[in-house]
Amino acid sequence: MRELRLGCKIVSTLLKNSLQYPGRLLLDIVAMLSWCGVCLLLYRYVFTLNGGTIKGTTFDVVAWSMFLYFAFSTLRLRSLTKTITQDVISGNVEMLFNKPVSYLVYRFWWQIGEGMLSFLVIAPISVLVMVALLGVPTTMANWFFLATLPIAMLGSALLSLMFYGIFGVIAFWMTDPAPIQWIADKFVMVLAGSYLPVAFFPKIMYVLARFSPFGGTLILSQMPYTTWKTDAWMLLSVQYLWILILGTVLVVMFRIAKQRVSINGG
Amino acid sequence: MSTCITVNNLTKRFEFSVKDPKAGWFKNLFAPTKKQVLAVDNISFSVNCGERVAFIGPNGAGKSTTIKMLTGILFPTTGSMSVLGLDPSKDRKKLAYKIGTVFGQRSQLLPNLPLTDSLEFFGVMYDMTDDAIAERIAELINIFDLKSFIDQPVRKLSLGQRMRGELAASLMHKPEIVFLDEPTIGLDVVAKKSLRDLLLKINKTQGTTIFLTSHDVGDIEALCDRTMVINHGVVVKDMPTDELAKTFVSEKYIDIVGKNEFKMLPELPDGVSYVTKTPEKVTVGVDLKKLGVQSALRALLERFDVEDINVYNAELETIIRHIYERGRV
Repeated sequence: MRELRLGCKIVSTLLKNSLQYPGRLLLDIVAMLSWCGVCLLLYRYVFTLNGGTIKGTTFDVVAWSMFLYFAFSTLRLRSLTKTITQDVISGNVEMLFNKPVSYLVYRFWWQIGEGMLSFLVIAPISVLVMVALLGVPTTMANWFFLATLPIAMLGSALLSLMFYGIFGVIAFWMTDPAPIQWIADKFVMVLAGSYLPVAFFPKIMYVLARFSPFGGTLILSQMPYTTWKTDAWMLLSVQYLWILILGTVLVVMFRIAKQRVSINGG
Repeated sequence: MSTCITVNNLTKRFEFSVKDPKAGWFKNLFAPTKKQVLAVDNISFSVNCGERVAFIGPNGAGKSTTIKMLTGILFPTTGSMSVLGLDPSKDRKKLAYKIGTVFGQRSQLLPNLPLTDSLEFFGVMYDMTDDAIAERIAELINIFDLKSFIDQPVRKLSLGQRMRGELAASLMHKPEIVFLDEPTIGLDVVAKKSLRDLLLKINKTQGTTIFLTSHDVGDIEALCDRTMVINHGVVVKDMPTDELAKTFVSEKYIDIVGKNEFKMLPELPDGVSYVTKTPEKVTVGVDLKKLGVQSALRALLERFDVEDINVYNAELETIIRHIYERGRV
């Protein structure tokens, strides 16, 4: 209960903080429009060249798959790695180590709070735009999709926090963890279908996208496909299993990391 | 008076990798040469509740490392410590409810929001009820005179105002001990005095123990009734601040104002040396181990045509410098 109260306070404080700087929200909207918009325009063109379907998949399904990835990414959970790294490098970690909170839990809430305004504004508006432009594919217009959406979203958020948390905590060991963090981040982007829709992956990558934690962090992008109805529980089980595994790894790593803290100053 | 802090044989050794230019990248990456630095070397001391203690030393002496072990941020290599009956390395969260920290070079406030938001934020963090938070904020506004800037975003405050805010935030949960690591760094004289007065006030009215590190001798003189000097990780002196000056005065200083401008300065007897020279005034230092004050004065009056003379002890800053220099030898 105490953790939840603190979490809500962090999120509400950061929402208030974000409202002081609407410019950031504007930037997020532009980024979303340009990146997602360009991808969708390109894919629309490719689908037209192929007579409307590729591997039995229509453009609207692929567009929604990519859109769900981009909408979720407005939460900016991947910035957790950067935040933890900066805390470690700047020594700011000490300001949180002497507070009666768990550093990781605090940073999880903080990250959610940081992206909340963008998510709350961009996601609903862009859903309406997508509905107006493309309509809703039949794979999404059913109760099963709607019922599993919050479970998959919660799982994606949790797995993202664990995943990016691990790559942030690496900063306790490495002077410059940026290259490793960059590689991990790109693995997630590729395997979650931000460049190429998951349905078009070659077999080995398709398996990786479905069963590795990289793809699991953004399972949402697999939801608009016809396979979701049959594979949902299996994929969600894999996702929650990864949450358990990576969560354990993160906790163990952080316990060791705490003992490695060295702070500037005599 | 009960004991608040007990430290026994505390040692902290930092280990870090060093790049060996002769070794290949593979060895440097996977089996780098390790180097150790002994930051704190087997120190022991205790602090009574309600005391105001200065923990001072030159850069790299081990004072910040000690304060960070006492607050649970760093883990000691060996030794034991108890702060308010808790072991900081094992009971960090429990201890955090009982202590407050101010690190002069870091901020814990939310930069874009008014100070009230930070205070409310910390209130929730310390598990205070909404009523208790409101009551405490009103109290802190009154004690720290925050009213004039409480609604301004923190980043728009002056450094002095921000430090008052930092101190208020660290006292939100009424801690029994406040650890301050160079709290007056960068502040002007007025802001420094204001912060020192506030610390004295909370010590006297609420009995809060103050444990402070600072390079500013003014902080120590104005605030602390006890001074511990640490150098090379070892506590070299631990005594009441006013006694520190008395014990280490083996030097006196004498200002001499001449009736006329000094053109040629005479040679001084053994044990007396020039410290500063201007045409209007000279200052000499007297080594009391070689020459008494009376003999020194007699020798000076024979050599100078004196308009005014002033004999005084070395300033605390000079005394501390002597202690550091002795430690280096």
